[in-house]
This record gives sequence, structure tokens and C-alpha cells, in this order.
Amino acid sequence: MSDRLKRLAELSILTALALIIFVVELQFPSITPIAGVKLGLANIITVYGVYRYKAGETASVLLVRILLGSLFGGNPSAIIYSLSGGALCLSGMLLLKKIIPENRLWVCSVLGAVLHNLGQTAAAYFVMGKAVFLYLPFLTVSGCVAGAITGMCAQLVLMRFRKNGKGGNPNAKTK
Amino acid sequence: MRLRIVYLITSLIFIAGLAGCFFILRTSETDTVEIIRDDEVLYRFDLKDSEDRIFKIEYNGSYNLIEISGGRIRVREAGCRDNTCVKMGWLQNSAAIVCLPNHLVIRFSG
Repeated sequence: MSDRLKRLAELSILTALALIIFVVELQFPSITPIAGVKLGLANIITVYGVYRYKAGETASVLLVRILLGSLFGGNPSAIIYSLSGGALCLSGMLLLKKIIPENRLWVCSVLGAVLHNLGQTAAAYFVMGKAVFLYLPFLTVSGCVAGAITGMCAQLVLMRFRKNGKGGNPNAKTK
Repeated sequence: MRLRIVYLITSLIFIAGLAGCFFILRTSETDTVEIIRDDEVLYRFDLKDSEDRIFKIEYNGSYNLIEISGGRIRVREAGCRDNTCVKMGWLQNSAAIVCLPNHLVIRFSG
């Protein structure tokens, strides 16, 4: 069995997982009346992917999840917010990965979540005008909290994998 | 070293966010309310002098039903699916009521 096929299967499972998490989270009632404040549990998969797979692989998992997620979620008009947020979040985390070691992965996730909300606000600015910036402080704080939670989940999963010796990329630096 | 800087920036972002929240959550000092769509002011009035009324603002086949009552303003009903603006309740502070699908913003001016 070729290595490429194995990788493809792994990535497909990751995408399916991300989609399931995304759709399940949609069923949660929102905690606050502010649009955009949510846990973003599907981000666990993205953070995990950033540290375990190649940039392109993680990007395709994220892209497929966003496209299919907006179809399943029944709100295709929200896709510009997801796309701009996702793109900014992913590129930010890929850069931060070079500085932040695996055992501090959650910090990377926090900054990723903040970037995600920033990207969404920027997209909303083009749709709505400058009034949306009033929400940025709330989205920043909620991004920090949500990012820390999802980041710790991803870190837990990754550390378990490493401990069991199934860590994928053996060249990754661990402290 | 670079890691330290990242930690520092992260904490600064968090603190700035918190500070921003407190800044926005101050109760507003003005009674002038603006209803805005795409950076264009549709209505502007003083809540203190406004009589209680309910009116409809239409947009692309959808709508928002705005209610003014006892010097307060809220979205009573909306034609969109998520109804975020309705759940936000009465306008209380500088955080605006925003309806993303209908491009509508209600906020205190100034």
C-alpha cells in the first residue's frame, strides 16, 4: 500500500471528523447574542493538521470542510466569512508553527482564533461598512478563550499520538 | 526569545480586547440613534423625543421590524433565519445592533 494512499485516507477521515464536529456544533444554542461568538470546535482539526501535516494538506482539509460545512449548515451566504476567517487563521498558524513548539500548541491556536475573527470582521466590513468593528473587542476576547480550549484539545490529541509512537512527522521538534 | 515575544503579543491582544469590551459596554451618554445601511444613515432621531411606534424597514425582500418604546429601541422581528438582531434585545450601549443578512446597523451616534 503506497504511503500516498494512506495519507489520503487519513486526510479524508480528518475532513469527515471536522465536518461532523462543525455540524454538531451548529446545533448548540449560541451563548451570546453576538454573531460570530462560538467555540469553533472544528478548529481542533485545523490546529492538529497544522502541526502534523503539510501546509497544503491542512489547507485542503480546511477548504473542503468550509465548502461542505456551509452546504450542510444551510447558510451558504455565510461562506465569505468562513473563507476569509479560515484563510487568515491558517496562514497565521502556519507561520507561528515555526516559532511555537508543539508543547505550546495552544498559544498558536489562540492567535489563530483571533486571526480568524479578524478575517471575519474584515469580510463583514466589506459587506456592511465600518459599524462592524464595534464587535472586534468581543470577538477578540471570545477568540482567545475559544482558541485556548480548542488548542488544548488538539494538543492533548497530538501528545497522545506522540506518546504512542504514531506521531507522523518524526522530524518535528519537541522540547 | 522569539517565543517570549509571541507570548507577550498574545497577552497584549487579550488585554486590549478586554479593554475594548469595557470601553464599548459603557452606557451611552447620547440619546441620538442612527439606523444605518452600508455606511448610509437611513434614520436619525432622538429617542427621548420619539413617540412609541413600530415600523418596518425592507431590504431585498426581507425586513426588520423596529420598535421604539419608552425611549428604547430594538428589533422586534426580522425576516432572516438566525434572528440575531432580535435576540440582542434593546439597544443599551455603544455596541450596535447588527443584522448581517439585511445590512442593517442600529447604534447611538457619537
